[in-house]
Amino acid sequence: MTTPDKRPPSRRFEVAASPTSSNSDALFALEDLAVSYGAFQAIAGVTMNVRPNEITAFIGPSGCGKTTLLRCFNRMNDLIESATVSGSVKYHGVDLYGPKVDPVEVRRRIGMVFQKANPFPKSIYDNITFGPRIAGYSGDLDDLVEESLTRAALWDEVKDKLDEFAPSLSGGQQQRLCIARAIATNPDVVLMDEPCSALDPIATLKIEELMLTLKQDYTIVIVTHNMQQAARVSDRTAFFTVDVGEEGQRTGRLVEFDDTGVIFTNPREQATEDYITGRFG
Amino acid sequence: MQHPPDDTRHHFNETLDAVLRGTVELGALVHENMLRTTEAALENQLDLANQVLAADDEIDQKYVALEHRVFEVMARQQPVAGDLRFLVSMTRVLYEIERSGDLAVNVAKGLIRREGYTLPPAIHSLIARLSREAAALFRQGLDALADLDPEAGVRLDAADDAVDDLVGELYAVIAAGSGEMGFDVAVELSRVGRYMERIADHGVNIAEHVTFIVTGSFPEESAATSDEG
Repeated sequence: MTTPDKRPPSRRFEVAASPTSSNSDALFALEDLAVSYGAFQAIAGVTMNVRPNEITAFIGPSGCGKTTLLRCFNRMNDLIESATVSGSVKYHGVDLYGPKVDPVEVRRRIGMVFQKANPFPKSIYDNITFGPRIAGYSGDLDDLVEESLTRAALWDEVKDKLDEFAPSLSGGQQQRLCIARAIATNPDVVLMDEPCSALDPIATLKIEELMLTLKQDYTIVIVTHNMQQAARVSDRTAFFTVDVGEEGQRTGRLVEFDDTGVIFTNPREQATEDYITGRFG
Repeated sequence: MQHPPDDTRHHFNETLDAVLRGTVELGALVHENMLRTTEAALENQLDLANQVLAADDEIDQKYVALEHRVFEVMARQQPVAGDLRFLVSMTRVLYEIERSGDLAVNVAKGLIRREGYTLPPAIHSLIARLSREAAALFRQGLDALADLDPEAGVRLDAADDAVDDLVGELYAVIAAGSGEMGFDVAVELSRVGRYMERIADHGVNIAEHVTFIVTGSFPEESAATSDEG
């Protein structure tokens, strides 16, 4: 009797290769990116890739530079006079900050949704058609409105009141309208800066569901204070922290970037583990 | 699974459904392997016994993958209430299923060890009945899981007594004939009885986990509460 009874198989949870290690599948490739506002260095040394048709989440404590970084993806920091961006952001392999790149075209292809829903003080219909009209959209506007609102999971709720004043919608509906407005210009990427922070849990879950559907057609990068949200919706998560210098200067830094499953089950860095388990001091 | 009509968490629900489906499918593979090992044992088919060992490798891989998936879903979706009961229970159900698969393997290994030994008719008949009953209980545990039937736990627990009786009978027959068959064979055949009894227990356990998933308490807890009342 030499053969022992069978025991359960050993469990080896494979840890994925670090996403920062490969350039081949990048929609965005950031190389040693840094942003300063005057003498204040907000974030420095960020090297990372964002893959197409994925949701990439940025998490970290206040002041870690995650919103500043997000704003580099569509050159929103250009609008702040004191802001300086160094390093490189490549989008489809093209330097986003190159001399021939038109920032307006960048923002058409890389749309943004903000923390507080900010519908135009116009009708629901006009909120959707405003951007495309300016851009000289030649298709059927009614169709565009229906398609955009349907994609944003809002059509059924508003189809009978398209002339209504958009700011009269509920907070969650307004935010979905802003998403519909962002996708009406047919972007490639949607950036979201804490899109649910002003919403109740149900409205939040609706936006999260929407994101999971939208990623089939778009690439999404989201900044969130709610790390559970990052865990629920994102494919990959970047954790940032703040380094405090000798003279008290605070600079954001990318600590760890990996598959969201890895970040929330077995992060490599102790700082990440401390933050996501609520032990961050 | 039954989900609320306002499907706010459609993607999460799909994941839960996929975990349930994957686990039932894993159970079906184990059940299939049980039938294979029984046939091998009764018909003395060594090649079939080797197939049982090979099939278990695939079962183990699927088990590890499913367990990892449940682990990750718990980390990422912050499940509470019914979702939490479901996911925590699934880690246990997966273990019950995987262990049942190993017991089927142990039966096959025993057959390989006692190569060429023909079962005496009385033992052959008892092992045939026992294997059939044990595999049926395991299968009913899986059915309870697939249907999320909270009543099955109590029902299967009662049915398990018949299996225990058969094991008792088998031990008695083996003890009576042990001088003739030799110590090693007697031990091997007793172990087959023990493995089959355990397989049946795993089936009952699966159904009891289902009761907990659906109602929030285990059958014995409910029974204890009603006794007190």
